[in-house]
Amino acid sequence: MSELSATHFLLLSAALFIIGMVGVLTRRNVLVIFMCIELMLNAVNVSLIGFAWELHQLTGQVFALFVIAIAAAEAVVGLGIVMALTRRADTVDIDELRQLRE
Amino acid sequence: MERTVDWLVVIPLAPLLAAIANFLFGKWWIRDRAHWLAVPAVGFSFLASVAAAWTVLGHHQLLRQPLYTWISAGEFQVPVELVIDELTAIMLLVVTGVSFLVHVYSIGYMHHDPGYYRFFAWLPLFVFSMVMLVLASNFLVLFVFWEAVGLCSYLLIGFWFRRRSAAEAAKKAFVVNRIGDFGFALGIMLLFTKVGTLEYQAVFEAIPRLSSGTVTTIALLLFTGAIGKSAQLPLFVWLPDAMEGPTPVSALIHAATMVTAGIFMVARAHPIFLASPLALWIVAVIGALTSFVAATIATTQFDIKRVVAYSTVSQLGYMALALGVGAWIPAIFHLFTHAFFKALLFLGSGAVMHAMHDELDMRRMGGLKRWMPLTYWTLVIGAAANAGIAPLAGFWSKDEILVSAWVGGAPLLALLGLAAAFFTALYMFRAVFLTFHGQPRFDPHQLHPHDPPATMAVPLVVLAIGAATTGFLGVPPEAGWIHHALEPVFESAAHHEVTLSLTLGLAIASTLVAFAGLWIAYAAYVRGTLSPAAVAARLGPFYRLAANGWYFDFIYQRYVVRPLDAAATWLWRSVDVGIIDGAVNGSARIVASTAQLWRRLQTGLVANYALMIALGTVVLVGAYLVFGSTLFR
Amino acid sequence: MSLQVLIFSLLAGVSILGALGVVIARNPVHSAIGLVLSFLNVAAIYLIARAEFLAVVQVIVYAGAVIVLVVFVTMLVHPDDLPEFHGRRPLRVATGLLLGGALLLEVAAAILTRNLSGVPGPWTDQTISLIGGNTRALGQTLYSDYMLAIQLTALLLLAATIGAIVLARPEAVSERVMAARRTLTISLAHPRGLDQPELPPALPLPPDGQVKPAGGGRSIVLARSASEFTEQPAWGEWRTP
Repeated sequence: MSELSATHFLLLSAALFIIGMVGVLTRRNVLVIFMCIELMLNAVNVSLIGFAWELHQLTGQVFALFVIAIAAAEAVVGLGIVMALTRRADTVDIDELRQLRE
Repeated sequence: MERTVDWLVVIPLAPLLAAIANFLFGKWWIRDRAHWLAVPAVGFSFLASVAAAWTVLGHHQLLRQPLYTWISAGEFQVPVELVIDELTAIMLLVVTGVSFLVHVYSIGYMHHDPGYYRFFAWLPLFVFSMVMLVLASNFLVLFVFWEAVGLCSYLLIGFWFRRRSAAEAAKKAFVVNRIGDFGFALGIMLLFTKVGTLEYQAVFEAIPRLSSGTVTTIALLLFTGAIGKSAQLPLFVWLPDAMEGPTPVSALIHAATMVTAGIFMVARAHPIFLASPLALWIVAVIGALTSFVAATIATTQFDIKRVVAYSTVSQLGYMALALGVGAWIPAIFHLFTHAFFKALLFLGSGAVMHAMHDELDMRRMGGLKRWMPLTYWTLVIGAAANAGIAPLAGFWSKDEILVSAWVGGAPLLALLGLAAAFFTALYMFRAVFLTFHGQPRFDPHQLHPHDPPATMAVPLVVLAIGAATTGFLGVPPEAGWIHHALEPVFESAAHHEVTLSLTLGLAIASTLVAFAGLWIAYAAYVRGTLSPAAVAARLGPFYRLAANGWYFDFIYQRYVVRPLDAAATWLWRSVDVGIIDGAVNGSARIVASTAQLWRRLQTGLVANYALMIALGTVVLVGAYLVFGSTLFR
Repeated sequence: MSLQVLIFSLLAGVSILGALGVVIARNPVHSAIGLVLSFLNVAAIYLIARAEFLAVVQVIVYAGAVIVLVVFVTMLVHPDDLPEFHGRRPLRVATGLLLGGALLLEVAAAILTRNLSGVPGPWTDQTISLIGGNTRALGQTLYSDYMLAIQLTALLLLAATIGAIVLARPEAVSERVMAARRTLTISLAHPRGLDQPELPPALPLPPDGQVKPAGGGRSIVLARSASEFTEQPAWGEWRTP
């Protein structure tokens, strides 16, 4: 542990990911849940970068770039959905959105 | 001698193509021009048949054309091959010739029918099926087209399917035929298991190796098919009802196709029947009984087409009698002549119907001779030929059958045939006199009966010439042209020495009997010296027996159809609805109720779904740690 | 403990604090600030790992564009009426924490006992500087080995853009009326709308001209005009009990 290694990156990644997951599980506000998902995606990037650094590879960075691209796309669509939801149901409370049952 | 040629295929192909074209394009394109295809196609087929028959009958050459192998499964090979020998050549001439005339006649008869194109699709299809049936070289192909003929008859009898009676008649024809076909199929299967092949030649060569019991079973099963198709005694009930179809169809079914298939099949399979005297005897008895029973029924009918229909059954009985006593050539000879005069009778009664605006009851006709001389004279020729009046066609062939039956060891059956001949003359001339003589029993000012148009008249005349002259093909008896022509096919058949005195004696007897029938009909329906009603009353139960068709329909309805119907209803109500549907619906209901239970898992709350995903992740990672990593090892 | 590890630990610690802020903060705007903090620190960590291009992208795309979008939407929806102001769900929080703790233990165990060692690749610091820096190296890899993936990503972004436009597009009046009438009965020319001025009067006829009878447990909505009805996102307020 004395020298910086991928293990550090992985621990940080795990911590961020699990914080994000707990947020998704516990929060009721769709917007916050959305931010937590971004957090989780970011955590994945951290581990990818860590491996890339340790192994002198560029593949990890390339993958992280794709994850960022997909996260951006997800942000656009997800926020669009949030807009549509608030217009129709006038709420951002995930517990009020039960249309999935129908 | 045998020759392989490649033009035989046009004989079945021409009608088939016409049928397909009319079927596919008839409704929206061909419509009223349907006969432009069908009639030339069948005519062409007839010309090709004539060419084939010329070679076969003239030079006694076997023509054959292999088409393709239909089934090839190990040892079991079913090639589709067209073979023309002398028997097939004669049949081809009859089938295509009469069919051609019927087609021509139909142009006039079916004019203005909304289903015109449909009629000219089924009619060539019928011809195609029948032609293939006679051209087949093995029992399986024969069976396939045997069934195809049944299908076509169903389609054509039920041609006016909107009429309930026509639909019923078509169904009846199909179902009754199915009973016979069931036996036929069983016979073919038995044949295959015993012999291992279905090729005619190979089967016939293998017959002597089989036990007599097996051969008898096979022969009887095959004959069951013929009983159904050729309307023999227990299964003849469909044929009179087949009158519901258009008259040209009746003519086609009765004269050229369908009913002759059974006779042809027995003649084709004669080596099998020859090997079993018992089967032959049964064929003869059924034939004789059929001819007599049907003749008595015909005497009591008032529907002109029914009279002719029962007459067909009766004539088919003669043919079966001939087959049964081993008189193969007379049977085919009678089939040949019968085709002409029966087609003539049907087309003639069709012309009468046409003139009378679809009136079928002879009690409402009479005196038509005045307005329809051509129809009258052609019909008289047909009736006389059917009645066996010398020297018309029916006389020669029928007489020969009676002589063969007499010398073939069944004089009793010959006498039964003679009795049937009496009734034949009686009902034929009864029909002619009721229809054409006496005073009109309808209003001549409302109906204006007239001779039919040319398309219908020409076939009548041609057929009348045929009915008058084809008998001479079999003169002198046992040594005529047709006997020499067919000899190679039936060379294994037994020959009887017939004395001249017997031939002459039976000829005179049958002529006398026929004239007796004619005279009684004349007395009863023209001169009025004999009251038919009084005779009917005097005969009492016998008359009622005949008038009700010997109660065959009644018995079938009560003891076969109704119990079957009840059983089927029971099966439907209890087994199908109760058990089968119950099982299906029950399992569906179980699934549905279980699903109702599981449905509660679906809360619709995204948070719960996310929770489940997280739980799954935890479990999976835990499983990896336990089983996949080195952590616990 | 080297300096590198120290800096890494500091950055990681602040990043985790920011992440915790995202989860804990009641106000979503505060959450967004926590998220920015976390993202910026992660970007700094990328610099340590010699991923300079990604660090910049992280700042521009994540900490920039995405966060701006989130805050923007947060402002669009009612910021004063957020569910967390009405209380959390203790059972759910407990379950979430339990699952999170379990997963953390598992993953930590897996990481600390790991003996994975991949084959080192060719991209050492020397080769990268030889080629002209991280960005150039990444660009060459992307546009040679990952050509198809890049194209597909472009397509994905296009699809996302179109999807967002469709989702965020203002609904046509008739569509919104239809959507409302699926769950509500819109009362037209309701007598109460005439004699009670505090209640909005009736809507004009909907475009299909069909008026459904009230009743059957459906709520009745009253509105002065069609535009008033459709422009009012919170028509739930008008539901009669």
